[in-house]
Amino acid sequence: MKKNLGILSILLVVFMATAFGSDSFFTPYNLFNLVERSSLYGIIGIGVAFVIITSGIDLSIGSLIGLVAVVFPYIVVDRQLSLGMGLLTILGLSLVVGIVHGLLITKLKLQPFVVTLCGLMIYRGLARWLVSDRTMGYGNESFASLKVLVGNVSQLPGCASLPGAKHVPVAFLILVSLGIVAAVFLNKTIYGRYLLALGRNEQAARFSGINTTKMIVLAYVICSLISGLGGLLFALDYGSIQPDSFGNFYELYAIAAAVLGGCSLRGGEGSVFGIILGAALMRLLMNSISMLGIDDQLEPTVIGFVILIGVVVDQLVKRIAAHRRAVLQARQASS
Amino acid sequence: MFLQIRPRLSLLLLLLPVASFSGCAESDSQSGGGEAKPKVAYVTNGIASFWVIAEKGAMDGGKKFNADVNVLMPANGVEDQKRMCQDMLAQGIEGIAISPIDPDNQGDLLAEIAQHTKLITHDSDAPNSDRLCYIGVDNYTAGRMCGALVKEAMPEGGSVIIFVGRLGQANARLRRQGVIDELLDRDPDPTRYDEPGAGEIKGAKYSVLDTRTDGFDFGKAKANAQDAIAKYDDLGCMVGLFAYNPPLMLDAVREANKIGKIKIVAFDEEAASLQGIVDGDVYGTVVQNPYKYGYESVRVLAALARGDESVIPEGGFMDIPARQIRKDNVDEFWTELKRLTAVGLPAPAATDDEPVAEENGEEKTN
Repeated sequence: MKKNLGILSILLVVFMATAFGSDSFFTPYNLFNLVERSSLYGIIGIGVAFVIITSGIDLSIGSLIGLVAVVFPYIVVDRQLSLGMGLLTILGLSLVVGIVHGLLITKLKLQPFVVTLCGLMIYRGLARWLVSDRTMGYGNESFASLKVLVGNVSQLPGCASLPGAKHVPVAFLILVSLGIVAAVFLNKTIYGRYLLALGRNEQAARFSGINTTKMIVLAYVICSLISGLGGLLFALDYGSIQPDSFGNFYELYAIAAAVLGGCSLRGGEGSVFGIILGAALMRLLMNSISMLGIDDQLEPTVIGFVILIGVVVDQLVKRIAAHRRAVLQARQASS
Repeated sequence: MFLQIRPRLSLLLLLLPVASFSGCAESDSQSGGGEAKPKVAYVTNGIASFWVIAEKGAMDGGKKFNADVNVLMPANGVEDQKRMCQDMLAQGIEGIAISPIDPDNQGDLLAEIAQHTKLITHDSDAPNSDRLCYIGVDNYTAGRMCGALVKEAMPEGGSVIIFVGRLGQANARLRRQGVIDELLDRDPDPTRYDEPGAGEIKGAKYSVLDTRTDGFDFGKAKANAQDAIAKYDDLGCMVGLFAYNPPLMLDAVREANKIGKIKIVAFDEEAASLQGIVDGDVYGTVVQNPYKYGYESVRVLAALARGDESVIPEGGFMDIPARQIRKDNVDEFWTELKRLTAVGLPAPAATDDEPVAEENGEEKTN
């Protein structure tokens, strides 16, 4: 929590500035949309954090999201198989992708950047080829039961009468559940500590008896599985999937959220809460730009600047803290 | 100590950009002050020069019909379009004109818009939604007009290849089908769909070898054209269905020294395509009237916001017909286009009155 105060304060400042500058911002409708978008991006941010923590990277997230989003209706609508079969297929697909990434990186010692960059191209091409670039839709009745995942909490069975349930996106509940599981896994289980340790120094971790190969494969599997889940949720939310573009750049949004949230690309550091805040900040900025009437074309520039400022502030604060610690230690040593 | 410094520093650094954001917003709202104007949004399906012309029409419409117009161009497909519309709805927008990227599968978004405000479609229709009307061209008919240009360019028959950004969009599918149906002399049927991956489509005189998509990647679009030239020795004609396709096709044909041997038929009014027509390197193009899409959309939305429903055309369809541009009428068309898209027109009279004259003139001639 302490580590996330920087990003939290940025989030609050932007939030308050937007609420101050626009009457329409602080309305249930807008906040619902904002929380839902933040949740969806937060989910894939948590996924990529697992590989970033091991000092890896996954550039194929967007393409995997695209592939999952295409394969699911392909199985259910085109092939007329059951919903369960569709879900199993995308689960299996994500699992295989994660295992293959992990094995190529650990067994063949290929760089994660290269492996996942190839994945980015392979999955995009597969998605396009599978359906001949046809737009895939989620308007079919078969998906109606799953649509609740991108609805509001009052649509969940037995939750209709809960106060305020209409204003809480189900995606937010998924994010919170996933966030808790991920945070507990990372911080309270031995495997989570292994991941952090091998991210800092893989050799040292291996020499201290950690099976780093297994742990790295695990990280890529978790990332791909969460990306698969993200792909399903995004697809259900947007309803229309263009195989050539759906999910483009999502990996970069996820990586940016993770970095904003305190993950170091050098590995060994990361907080789930920070990643969620990072994802929320980016969605909030996009929303603020609309709400405040800032020129839409400036959107990527503003986001780029804020990420840069966030990272600069983080670095400065770390330096100051290190300096103070050194001074303190010097004083204690001399006294 | 550490904890106290961190938020303070963040605040200091971030207050600067954030303060400037708020400043922007305030100055905007101040400048727009005065009498109450309906706030309407004109949402495109992407970013393209085509939409810049439409934007000009929408802004001129805003001046003429006293409306605040927000023109939004989603850079990232369906997702951006949804986000932009929801943000507009949150701001209490009084009407949205949208070119839905995938009308069949964006039902939820269209229903959401229709529930909160006045919804009309332009450029690409969503007949199953609660839109009040559609303003635009009949893409299937426009495709057939494009096919007719191919026939004129290559009266003795031959092979044709089609290039398009993506086939996911209804307008792209309909245009392509129109071209194919015209070349094969089929009866009009906009619901027909020849799968793009099904191989060559052969007719009595014309055959469509393939349809290549590029996903709006210009590099790939040119590579597609080059590959087609390399692959098909007897290629007779290239048809580019999105605005940026024909100039890239033209480049590829020029580089291969096959001008004249391979005919080029275009869609839309990209400057290089028009110059190609002037030079005789492009046979012709089918143009829509994006300026009028923007202008008419704002006219209808502004009136609807003021409670006047008489602006809704009969049958819910306002046809803005496509036109064929060949060497004989390209100069006249291009001059008019330049006038409409001139940047920074100083005299309000020029922007306030002339579009109406243009509008009336067109309605008479069509």
